[in-house]
Amino acid sequence: MTAPAIVVRDVFMDYQTPTGVKHVLGGISYDVSEGHFVSIVGPSGVGKTTLLRLLTGLAQPTKGEILVEGKPLMGAPEGLAVVLQDYTRSLMPWLTVERNIALPLRKSKLNKSDVRERIRSSLIEVGLEGSEKAYPWQLSGGMQQRVSIARALAVRPKILVMDEPFASVDAQTRFDLEDLVLKVREDFGITTVMVTHDIDEATYLSDEVVVLYGTPAKISEVIVIDLPFPRSQVETRNDHKFSELRTRIYEKVRGLG
Amino acid sequence: MKRVWPWFLAVLIGGWLPVAMIAWWWNASAGSVDPFFPPLETIWEQFKFNWIWQYWGIHVMPTLQNLITGFLLAVAISIPLGALIGSSPVAARYVEPLVDFVRSIPPVALIPIFILLLGLDSSMRIMSVAFAASFPILLSAIEGVRTTNGVLLDTATVFRLTRSQVLWRVRLPNALPTIFAGLQVSFQIAFIVAIASEILGSGFGLGAFTLIATDSFMILDAWTGVLLLGILGYLLNIVFDVVERISLRWYFGQKKLV
Repeated sequence: MTAPAIVVRDVFMDYQTPTGVKHVLGGISYDVSEGHFVSIVGPSGVGKTTLLRLLTGLAQPTKGEILVEGKPLMGAPEGLAVVLQDYTRSLMPWLTVERNIALPLRKSKLNKSDVRERIRSSLIEVGLEGSEKAYPWQLSGGMQQRVSIARALAVRPKILVMDEPFASVDAQTRFDLEDLVLKVREDFGITTVMVTHDIDEATYLSDEVVVLYGTPAKISEVIVIDLPFPRSQVETRNDHKFSELRTRIYEKVRGLG
Repeated sequence: MKRVWPWFLAVLIGGWLPVAMIAWWWNASAGSVDPFFPPLETIWEQFKFNWIWQYWGIHVMPTLQNLITGFLLAVAISIPLGALIGSSPVAARYVEPLVDFVRSIPPVALIPIFILLLGLDSSMRIMSVAFAASFPILLSAIEGVRTTNGVLLDTATVFRLTRSQVLWRVRLPNALPTIFAGLQVSFQIAFIVAIASEILGSGFGLGAFTLIATDSFMILDAWTGVLLLGILGYLLNIVFDVVERISLRWYFGQKKLV
């Protein structure tokens, strides 16, 4: 077993609201092993996105600590990339695809031709070669989400964090993007944490599924998805083990059993 | 060929009324002996004599120079300043009441103060234009930069963009459509102030020319001045629109698809 890429230790999160303090997270502890794909599921409003904001350094926990690559989190950590649900608002509409991908690379000390190479290889990885000069709004929803994935890959992240990445695309595109994520993971071995409300998707993609439940939210169960790789939309989803696993997750999300 | 047709149609639809009105004015005023409403034909003759290119250098150029210098000065100061203020919620709260107060004063009323401060030369006119034109730009820049959507800012934060990169590469471009609305308003104000600033203490410029002509009963010259002001304002607006279309290509392209 390799060292954990992310360590979440006893994390509490409270929000100050006009009606008083709201306890969102009530003591979350969990380690994400390097190279693993972990999904966070739970009933809506349980605090999945809150946990994700803590992991990306966008918010600070009220109590507890988060270590990324062994270092305590101070702001957005190096080597972490995100793909957000709302691609229409996470890509800059005034920049072409290649400039969008290049934006996070400004800080790195890459020279121009290296940057161009990164853009090219990232676009090839997501199957969008030739779209460099297009504007995001000229592309379909699925293609825009591919651009956000390419942008994330271009920074060569060790950790990829995704917030409901495929929630706003149609079903067919969703399957394609899921398989793209599996391919990316196989090609680069990136540690991935994904928040989703789609239990099938969590089961299909993950090594482990973490179920959050309750107010304040705690981890009610960690379900290891021991389905064989490579996975396929037809075979994996027809596996009786797949149905067993997704039923267990479903029960946990519903607070049953 | 197909692209020409809609253009032609647009010109036809937008142009028939002005053409009809000019034709009516031309006919109705023909042979007029009223000293205040000379025949359009006479006005036109005088117009050609005055502005092609007899008085262009001494009356049109100074006005355009003051207008454009003042406006560009306002742009250069107000956009960065507004961006800085808008990216700090506290600063915006402190500054906005003051900005709102000063911009509520009709800009023309401030010209005497600028005369006291700067005298009667063109620096006074440029500063009057710049001052009056600043406020719509400043307010739109503050507003545009302040209302950047959270997802965009979160994305920029996670990708570890520096504060100044977030300001210049995310907040400011995102604010450009709002800023352009401010620029449009500001440009109209700049035009008014540029003309009004010439009414006092100047023998040069379109404002001075038109006013002096009116005061000395040179009604024909006054008419040509008013006509030229209208035409100039219209043309400058077209230039403005073209610049906007080019700068905000992404914005209009995106809007067309939604």
